[in-house]
Parts: sequence; C-alpha cells; structure tokens
Amino acid sequence: MSFNLEQMLREKRALRDRLAARPIAEKLRMLDALRERTLTIHIARSPKTNAIRDEPPDLGKHHPTS
Amino acid sequence: MKIEEVFRTINQMKVDHVIERYAVGGAVAATFYLEPVSTLDVDIFIELHTATGSLLVSLDPIFGYLRERGYKMEGEHIVISGWPVQFVPPTSPLIEQALNHATEVDVEGATVSIFTAEHLAAIALQTGRAKDKARLLQFLESRTLEMTQFEKIVKRHGLTEKWQRFQQQFLRDPTS
Repeated sequence: MSFNLEQMLREKRALRDRLAARPIAEKLRMLDALRERTLTIHIARSPKTNAIRDEPPDLGKHHPTS
Repeated sequence: MKIEEVFRTINQMKVDHVIERYAVGGAVAATFYLEPVSTLDVDIFIELHTATGSLLVSLDPIFGYLRERGYKMEGEHIVISGWPVQFVPPTSPLIEQALNHATEVDVEGATVSIFTAEHLAAIALQTGRAKDKARLLQFLESRTLEMTQFEKIVKRHGLTEKWQRFQQQFLRDPTS
C-alpha cells in the first residue's frame, strides 16, 4: 500500500469545495446533524452520564465458591 | 433541532420590533460561504439602543420576549430549537461595520441577514484564536474572498500588521 499525500490533499480539497457548493438549506441541515453528533459525543464522554456503567461485579458477596 | 427555526424566530423578533438590525456571524455565517463545520452555538449580532434615560444597553427586552414564548435560558444563551443562541451587541468598529454591510440571503423562503465573507474573514483575523485562523485559511483557500475589499477592511480597522504576520506564518511558500 502506498500513500500519495499530494493526491490525498487534492481529493480532500475537492471534497471541501463540493460541500461548500451544496445549496445552503442542505448545508444548514448538515450543521444540525454535526451539532447532534457533537452533543452525543459530549454526553457519552460526560462523567455524570449513566448511559454506560462498567462496574465490576461484587465477587466477595456473590461468588459461588465463597 | 433545526437551525432554520432559529432564523424564523429572529425574523419574527424583527417583525415584532424587539430587535432592529441583526446579522448572523461566526461559524454559522461562514457556512453560507464554506463547507459546514461543527459549531456549538449561533451568534446573532444586533444593533442595540440605550433605553431612554439610561447609558447602558440591555438585552432584557430580548430575553423577556423569548422567555414569554417558552424559550429557556442556558447560561448566557437562549435555546431555540435545540440551538444555544447568543445575542451579541457590536463590541468593535469592525463588528459595527460588518453589521452595517450585512447581506441578505434567502433560505427556503426566509430571508437571513449574514455578515459578508470579507467581514467574517477580517473578524477572524482580529479575534485570532486557533479556530479563527483556521477559518481565515478556509476562506483564503476557497477563494471566496474579494481580496481588494478584504484588504480595505483590514487597513481601515488597523489590522495590517496582523494580516502581514498571518501571511508570513501561513501563506509563505516554504520553498522560497
């Protein structure tokens, strides 16, 4: 696998130009979607969230061999 | 969450004479010229007049109007359709000029007043945070700026030195 950095940069530039040229209503919908995504990431990263709990089981109390 | 709802609300505030002249600035305004970039809030620049007998400008009428209609405050923002919106009075002659020269754009039947690309670029140069420099570079790379107009604004607002430094830092040909 080889990387052609110049080509990658050219393609990125072209993608950005295509996005910039989209109709404004569409670009505003993209802004809405980007903000929703940012909020989702922010909530998932927040230490207050209870969306994901990864606590070890209490082996001392409930371990079958104890 | 719909940013167009923010524009509709602001336009209604204008119809109801709660605000007079306004213009959208910041990343949301930049989206009208460039590719969309994630942003946390909407900056609405507004012309404010001091209340009779007062030397202070107040945003109370704006917040009162919106609170009456059920919108909630979140710190210094008011939340409209899921978007934190910040109302900003002009804080510099450059912002005042940007407000005076704002351009109107049609968004699916609604008129939205936004800063010109040249003013947004000059404000980014003046503000000078990393994200502002990135935005200025985006404007330059996309060739959306009318450079004569941009440089006129830069000169008028005493930003020539900053602009020279910016060019040396970011636009200098590394092979030269």
